[in-house]
Amino acid sequence: MVLRIRLARFGNKHNPFFNIVVAQARSARGAKPLEVIGTYNPIPKRPTNLYGEDADARPYKEIALDRSRAKYWLGVGAQPSDPVWKLMGMAGLVAPKPTTFDKA
Amino acid sequence: MPPRMQSRSVSNTLLPYLTSTSSSSSSLSSIPSLSSTSSQCLSRQFSATAAPQAQTKLRRQMFEWLNNEGSIFKHHVPGETNYLTRLKQRGNEGSETPRPFPNNQHFISEPILSEELRNEVYNRVVEQKKSVRVVSVELGIDMKRIAAVVRLVELENRQRAQGKPLALPYARAVHEMVPTTPLAEKGERQTYHEPINDLPAHPLTGSQIFYPVPESRSFNRVEAGRVFSGAPAMEHSEAAEISHPSDLAEKIMEDPNSIGWVGKGANARQILQPADVRIPHPHLVAQERDRLAHPNERLAVADLQSKRLERQDALEKERRERLQARREKKTTIVSPEDSRFNYRIKDTIYTTETTGVDGRGSKATGRRYGVPHRDRTRGEVKVPTRVEA
Repeated sequence: MVLRIRLARFGNKHNPFFNIVVAQARSARGAKPLEVIGTYNPIPKRPTNLYGEDADARPYKEIALDRSRAKYWLGVGAQPSDPVWKLMGMAGLVAPKPTTFDKA
Repeated sequence: MPPRMQSRSVSNTLLPYLTSTSSSSSSLSSIPSLSSTSSQCLSRQFSATAAPQAQTKLRRQMFEWLNNEGSIFKHHVPGETNYLTRLKQRGNEGSETPRPFPNNQHFISEPILSEELRNEVYNRVVEQKKSVRVVSVELGIDMKRIAAVVRLVELENRQRAQGKPLALPYARAVHEMVPTTPLAEKGERQTYHEPINDLPAHPLTGSQIFYPVPESRSFNRVEAGRVFSGAPAMEHSEAAEISHPSDLAEKIMEDPNSIGWVGKGANARQILQPADVRIPHPHLVAQERDRLAHPNERLAVADLQSKRLERQDALEKERRERLQARREKKTTIVSPEDSRFNYRIKDTIYTTETTGVDGRGSKATGRRYGVPHRDRTRGEVKVPTRVEA
């Protein structure tokens, strides 16, 4: 059985919030995972209290991640799903996923 | 009610009739349509109900009042409030009452900051680099208001720089009509804008507790706080060290971790501290005690106070910087080129300490499994109660 690092959706309608979890690939999205290793909030937030040059800074999205656990699970062969691959690529844990454009 | 159709042309034959019916409101040229109802009825075939021939009694009374007694409110006197209560106290002229509503004597309109005072606050905080605490004591303005003033003046400056229009005539008119706290002239003593050392009632102190204490034992505000939060009494030696509850304020300022905890796990909370510690400006109590102890050494007391404030400011600044550094160390900000967003990646740690042995611990980041989600329980506050600024 393949181990996957993937997102598990929480939150209400129109208010998504994800736990980054390690789970068996065939288990349900809402099933209890092997381990939770982080969170991802896809709702962008506006930075507050910025003046001058920073005033038009980009909105941000929040990720929380336990790097050592993520490295461990990647080391024992867990496969990140595409969205998690993107997040982990930004965190510098895996090489960024090659896009179709890059491959061609 | 269907929209009233305005009669475009009033024929000359109706004019004498118009003037005769509008005798009660002859000075009000703005409501001629009311009296031209007869011509409307001719052109309006679909309505069976005749429009009222005259004004209602209440409306007539309103215009009567506006034309006679109320006419003084039409234009305000700059620098004075324009409240209805001015009519009542016509007998004793000169004494301006801060109560705008004649039938609500409990409502008092509080003064707002004058332009000069507001600019002075910004000047002292931003240009003279004084701490918010010091400026608050000097000018008698709450610390939260000082922070708000600085933010708003900053916003105003930014809007000026961007060339955005400002509602200056509006601001001027409002400042003329409501009571304001002026900035003191040089050499004068600044009048306090508001009480600055107020303390909201702590919910823990709401309960009535019957707590018998032996006469031989000292029982002060520190002990009472412990009783309210359900903490055991202090050791005698520990209690003997505290000569006055305000001594604790300085100790806690230096080491915030010296406040003890009661309860376990998710229910753990800090022991309730005496009011001397929780008030916004504990150093004012210390200053007053110094003054009482040394009534003839005013300069020495003032010197002591300024040193105390400096020390506290340095401590606060250091703590703020340490927290900021720790926060920055834990987060990395990634801004991908092909994205509209930044990503803030925060390091977290999942261990049995945070998740608990059964994985249901409340300290770990993220949503929990196997624990009921209490977002729809009764009394749960879901609207934001504070603003991160």
